[in-house]
Amino acid sequence: MTTEERGSALVESIVAIVFLILLSLGVAQLALTLYGRNVVIASAHEGARAATELGRSEQEAEAIALRTTRSASGSLVDDLEIDVLTEPAGEDDLIIVRLSGRLAAVGPVPITIPVEVQASSLRLGEVE
Amino acid sequence: MTSDERGQALVESLVLGMLLIIPIVWVLMVLADVHRSALATTSAAREAGFDAARSGDLTAAAKSVERTAELALANHGLDGGEANVRWSAPDGLERGARIEVHVAYPVSVMRFPFLGEVSGPSIWVRSTHIARVDPFASR
Repeated sequence: MTTEERGSALVESIVAIVFLILLSLGVAQLALTLYGRNVVIASAHEGARAATELGRSEQEAEAIALRTTRSASGSLVDDLEIDVLTEPAGEDDLIIVRLSGRLAAVGPVPITIPVEVQASSLRLGEVE
Repeated sequence: MTSDERGQALVESLVLGMLLIIPIVWVLMVLADVHRSALATTSAAREAGFDAARSGDLTAAAKSVERTAELALANHGLDGGEANVRWSAPDGLERGARIEVHVAYPVSVMRFPFLGEVSGPSIWVRSTHIARVDPFASR
């Protein structure tokens, strides 16, 4: 092996290692993104559910849904926006929580991923 | 090392890396679905039990369990029709009665890019919740 070839192998190794490291970090970012999306979905649902308790007004429902969502999703979501709607569903009310935000970049790729979820829950009109 | 061999190790490493990424991403997708299903079945069982405990009789409780579990699963993007929801409660739903709700959901491990899930083996995610009728409820 000549001096020139020795240097060539070194450069190749470095390029390959850097590529594999970036690949691994990308996989880690994908995992965290999937986890974050699941948490956002679940927290929107928890918010909708919390808002269905008897005697809650729509404003209280929104505050509860927002608090639940923020505490559950933590710093995973930036620019969190929440919208709570109440629609009649027969004798009951359907609470709809629409949650949108951006999943924070936690890996090597500095991009945020938009997420928008909707969850609903029934507020029973009359407890038998 | 000949001039033909130069760069070959690099190409091999890249090809190997790309080949490794496929099963890793597949495992990640399945695990993410298992996680989502675990969150969904837990919510479904808990809320179905809660609503059943507030129902006046078994008929209303059955309706509540079905409706609530389906809604909870739908909120997580899952098909309620695929879920296995079972529940049991004593006749009459007396004060302090124990209501047990079981929710199971199959997560398919067979999926392909652009095709999504196809029929094949599944991982069953199960959740159980035990609720009690309020001992001071009006009956």
